[in-house]
Amino acid sequence: MGTAFDTIAFKASACDGCGKCMTACAEAKQGASRISIVSGAGEGRFELSLCRQCGDPKCAMVCPAGALAKDEASGVIRWDANQCVDCLLCTAGCSFGGISVDSHTARVAKCDQCDGDPACVKACPTGALEWVTAGSVFKKYGDREDMFVPGLSGCQGCNSELIMRHAMRKIGRNAVLATPPGCIPGMGSVGYNGKTGTKVPVFHPLLTNTASMLAGIRRYYDRIGRKDIVVMALAGDGGTSDCGFHAVSGAAERGEKVLYVCVDNEGYMNTGMQRSSTTPFGSWTSTTPVGEHMRGKTQDAKNLPLIMVAHKCAYVATASTGYMEDLYAKLDKAVEASFRGFSYLHIYSPCPTGWRIPSSKVIEACRMSVDSNFVTLWEYTREGGLRFTRSPDRPIPIRDYVKLLGKYRHLDEAQLDHIQARVDEQVALLRMMAAEPVAAE
Amino acid sequence: MSKVVVIDGNEAAAWGAALSRPDMVAVYPITPQSSLVEYLAKFIADGRMDADLMDVEGEHSVLSVLHGACLAGARTYSATSAQGLAYMFEPYFRTPGLRLPMVVSLVNRDSVSPTCVWGGQQDAMTVKEVGWIHMFCENQQEICDTIPIAYKVAEHPEVMLPVNVNHDGNYLSYGVAKVELPDQAVVDSFLGEKNVNWHACLDPERPMAVDPLTGGATGAGPATFVRYRKGLCSGMRAALDVIVEAHADWGRRTGRHWSPLIEKYRMEDAEVALVTIGSMSGAAKDAVDEARLDGRRLGLVKIKTFRPFPVVQVAQALSKVRAIGVVDRAVNFGWNCGPVFQEVLAALYHLPLRVPAMSFIGGLAGADITVEHFSQAIDRTLRLAAGELAVEPVWLNEND
Amino acid sequence: MMETKYLIIGSSHAALEALRAIRQADRDGSMTMLTRDGHMPYSPTILPYVVSGRSAPDRAILRDETFFAANGCAFVGNATAVGLDAKGKTVALADGRSWRYDKLLIATGAAPAIPPVPGLDGSVPFHVLRSLDDAMSLRNAMGAARRAVVLGGGLVGLHAAENLAEAGLAVSVVEMRPHVLPGYFDAKASGRIEAAFTEHGVKLFLGRTVVAVDAPDGRSCTVRLDDGGAIEADLLLVATGVKPVADWLSGSGVAVDRGVLVDDTMRTNLPDVWAAGDVAQAKDFHSGTQALIGIIPTAVEQGRLAGMDMAGDSYLKPYAGGVPINTYRFFGRVALSIGQAAADGCGEVAEQEGGGYRRVVLADGRLVGYASVDEPFDVGIMGELIRRRVDLSGCKEDFLSRPLETGRRLMSEGWR
Repeated sequence: MGTAFDTIAFKASACDGCGKCMTACAEAKQGASRISIVSGAGEGRFELSLCRQCGDPKCAMVCPAGALAKDEASGVIRWDANQCVDCLLCTAGCSFGGISVDSHTARVAKCDQCDGDPACVKACPTGALEWVTAGSVFKKYGDREDMFVPGLSGCQGCNSELIMRHAMRKIGRNAVLATPPGCIPGMGSVGYNGKTGTKVPVFHPLLTNTASMLAGIRRYYDRIGRKDIVVMALAGDGGTSDCGFHAVSGAAERGEKVLYVCVDNEGYMNTGMQRSSTTPFGSWTSTTPVGEHMRGKTQDAKNLPLIMVAHKCAYVATASTGYMEDLYAKLDKAVEASFRGFSYLHIYSPCPTGWRIPSSKVIEACRMSVDSNFVTLWEYTREGGLRFTRSPDRPIPIRDYVKLLGKYRHLDEAQLDHIQARVDEQVALLRMMAAEPVAAE
Repeated sequence: MSKVVVIDGNEAAAWGAALSRPDMVAVYPITPQSSLVEYLAKFIADGRMDADLMDVEGEHSVLSVLHGACLAGARTYSATSAQGLAYMFEPYFRTPGLRLPMVVSLVNRDSVSPTCVWGGQQDAMTVKEVGWIHMFCENQQEICDTIPIAYKVAEHPEVMLPVNVNHDGNYLSYGVAKVELPDQAVVDSFLGEKNVNWHACLDPERPMAVDPLTGGATGAGPATFVRYRKGLCSGMRAALDVIVEAHADWGRRTGRHWSPLIEKYRMEDAEVALVTIGSMSGAAKDAVDEARLDGRRLGLVKIKTFRPFPVVQVAQALSKVRAIGVVDRAVNFGWNCGPVFQEVLAALYHLPLRVPAMSFIGGLAGADITVEHFSQAIDRTLRLAAGELAVEPVWLNEND
Repeated sequence: MMETKYLIIGSSHAALEALRAIRQADRDGSMTMLTRDGHMPYSPTILPYVVSGRSAPDRAILRDETFFAANGCAFVGNATAVGLDAKGKTVALADGRSWRYDKLLIATGAAPAIPPVPGLDGSVPFHVLRSLDDAMSLRNAMGAARRAVVLGGGLVGLHAAENLAEAGLAVSVVEMRPHVLPGYFDAKASGRIEAAFTEHGVKLFLGRTVVAVDAPDGRSCTVRLDDGGAIEADLLLVATGVKPVADWLSGSGVAVDRGVLVDDTMRTNLPDVWAAGDVAQAKDFHSGTQALIGIIPTAVEQGRLAGMDMAGDSYLKPYAGGVPINTYRFFGRVALSIGQAAADGCGEVAEQEGGGYRRVVLADGRLVGYASVDEPFDVGIMGELIRRRVDLSGCKEDFLSRPLETGRRLMSEGWR
């Protein structure tokens, strides 16, 4: 497993230059601020100068005194004040002004991320600074046992495989896993008779009865006092939103203590990319082809997670592999909630094969789907209501996202307008539910 | 101590189920089964029965939650009828393949269309090839007794197959009779410890893949599939002996000795025989008695166990008669006769000499089959014995 | 005959970076590092701080045995290379041993260049400052001495002069050019530095050359200057520059000019032989010709490139050329310089003098040099602006009035 670290991320578009981060840093460090916000190109634009905690730190390489080194645990480039001879060569190594002279001490100073609790981030009122913990997520779970064998036969770049492996690494062995017919068992997780691709108890439910079978399993284990088993599904969108919906809805209504993860790749990809009720408007599928009389799907996608909110589940959330720390935080909550009631996690999952995108663009597609509001990331609890966990203040146009995907290649202006309008409506509705102001455009 | 009550067939089934101590009961109401699940709910609500009651959103899920529970180790029970069974069909088909030893009562009802909510065995007869064991009860006491017996059979390691305990809608489901409820301790010792998922389970302590893909055009896949199919047939075959043993054991413990596979009624010197199934058999026996009073040598064979079909027992029982009349409460479309008749014909083929047989269909859509109807059938069967051929079935209620 | 896949001769910055780069691409290939020094690796740059006592000799060590064990590299000290047989792929050592290699990196660095002055031929004792032993010897001598003369007003000379002055010695510095730190700073910047030395009692003899050094009593000496003057000293430090350690390559076929000539992936003219660091004469960013730039950042970069190329790392990108950099502390103050900061006539020069002094040199709207005294700046950022040839014409006003902020802004924008 490789290494990754938490990091302070800067969103220039959200920075108003208030300087509170610098004040907080200077106070925390009793000296010059290690973070510096500078005027950007144009009125009201700001830029950042801060140690990037490089993987290949040039400041450390050029240090003649061995005073700088990357901390293996935190990834922070540590400066050893006793070892340093104040030669300033490190300032020549850094391309970002991440280590510079503190005029108070006449020595160099640099960001040490306040040991994982950066003062600047806490002081930032606009969210321009964010403490991104994807690195520790990666490290924490990267070394855990993979619950699937290597060599599952997913397509190259398969996002669902990523989700499966991540989810089960996190959840571990004390689980019963349903993988209803679709890509997830299709790539060999349940396996061929005599061989299985999974280390936890795994089974094919019917496409139609996943939630019900899980409910039966959970009820019995609860009955005999084995209440700590995670009883869960990694299901596709078709089995969840179409023919298996009765079971999902019934189990949710009854409050069955089950973790239901829907991996939404917007269609029946395993059987050759047919349309499902979560296939978005305009999308090419093999049953909504593009020809003289038909230009892709003519109906909008069903918003399944919202429907689950209406069931007043113990937990409902949406997630994307574009934002793993968000996904992991939700997986945590979803697992916990599954011991209290029905817990539903909807993960949007681009399919390189069915969506006609290069495998190298899958994560980019995930990110852009969120950054354009095509995919909204939120969570719902009965106590806290609906809450956005990440929402772009300045969403990129839907066109920018859609043009990444081959399945939308045929769209005309009217169709693009339709998609944009629906996305805007959807976000407005969600904002209303989240009691957030609808963005004035 | 056992106790005597006067109850209808649905309550008798509920008692049979309750005494078998299932861990989980999943229900969805349907006429004429509804009161059965209401009794169960009441038993559980009153604390007379310790089971998880799952009121689910449809029969498809009824069987599905029980699949899950059974794979986790639970003893399970449910009941349904006609359309409910039709809706349940997808997981129903899967149950014997997974070798899940479940017990589900079928409160037999005719199936739409025409729309109909009354008794008839079209539901059970339509699913006879799926791989469930089917037993048909004649009266309320037999219903109550057969359900524990069904668990004993289903969970037998040589069998490991699901059982449908059938009782006729309306006539038995709502009809009231005296029933002696077996003592709980007797049932407990009769059934012993359950072990329903030793062969396939979903348990983190015994991780395995349940129901992986099996088959393919070449190689070991399809051969493995054949092994599973033949294994199911072996289970069915083994069930014939297990059913006999279980009934005998039950008889020893309760004093009630039910015929396990078939019941032969006045067959010792019979020249002509009726074949019946389910609750109609009582009236049929009366008709046989009347015919005997008239000096005609009538006998009757009642089929209790329809799946596995007791081929040898049926063929031997009927080997000495000159003509056979088979009375059905369902239709085999295509053969356009009764389905039990068709089965009996197949069994008779094993005899060295051909015995003429004919089909009677009666009691559809809740209709009574009276002693008079059976007398007509007896008359017609006697004419068959005399050489009057009958290719088409006789529809007993056609002219009511 | 010892054998190794990768043979690295030298143990300072270029050598250590090459080791790291090789190990990134080749986890298992056998590797050996030979050094003429008797210590574990250290940086020559640390030596003035060892002299001053700021850094204890044992703390100057950059890598220990554990590091070499963990990286699968044999470290051999006191191993002076004396000959290369490139055909036979062997390196001969002074002690008679020899090493056979698949790939060879010459990172032998530089050694003090002693001017051809009568008396400096060994008859008069003097100090140099290039090795840890030199530093310890100088530190020991400091205690007993009262008057010191430093020949050379470069970085090593000035650092030492400051140390000696701070230790209470009467110090004189002789520099043949008119200003100290020639090449890095223009006259104004140098003037500030010179003034500081003068303020601290250091006598500067600028534009003076030494014609002879005498030591009649064998202990104190007299340094005689070209203007007839003479300076008495009981401690003499010669810090008149360095020259690449390449003599041992004579006859080997390796092309040597002032240093070992290398191309943009640090290959010499011979197959499977690379050179990097102070010994190498590699491309100069500004002129495009091969030049000696003996500073850590170029040694690090060259060592990295050499290592990548030796291990066949496909991510290798050719050398962009060295940019001179100087970060200099004197009496607690700061002088910084990068690129063609002292140059005249190569572009537009903007000078700013107040509490601090800065000098920005632009050519074609692009930064080519930047120096300052008493006004710190982000040397690395200015270096990137130079190396990337960032067009500053759109923000020239901002850049000249607020170079620090503007530089940070440009790098922040460029990073996204």
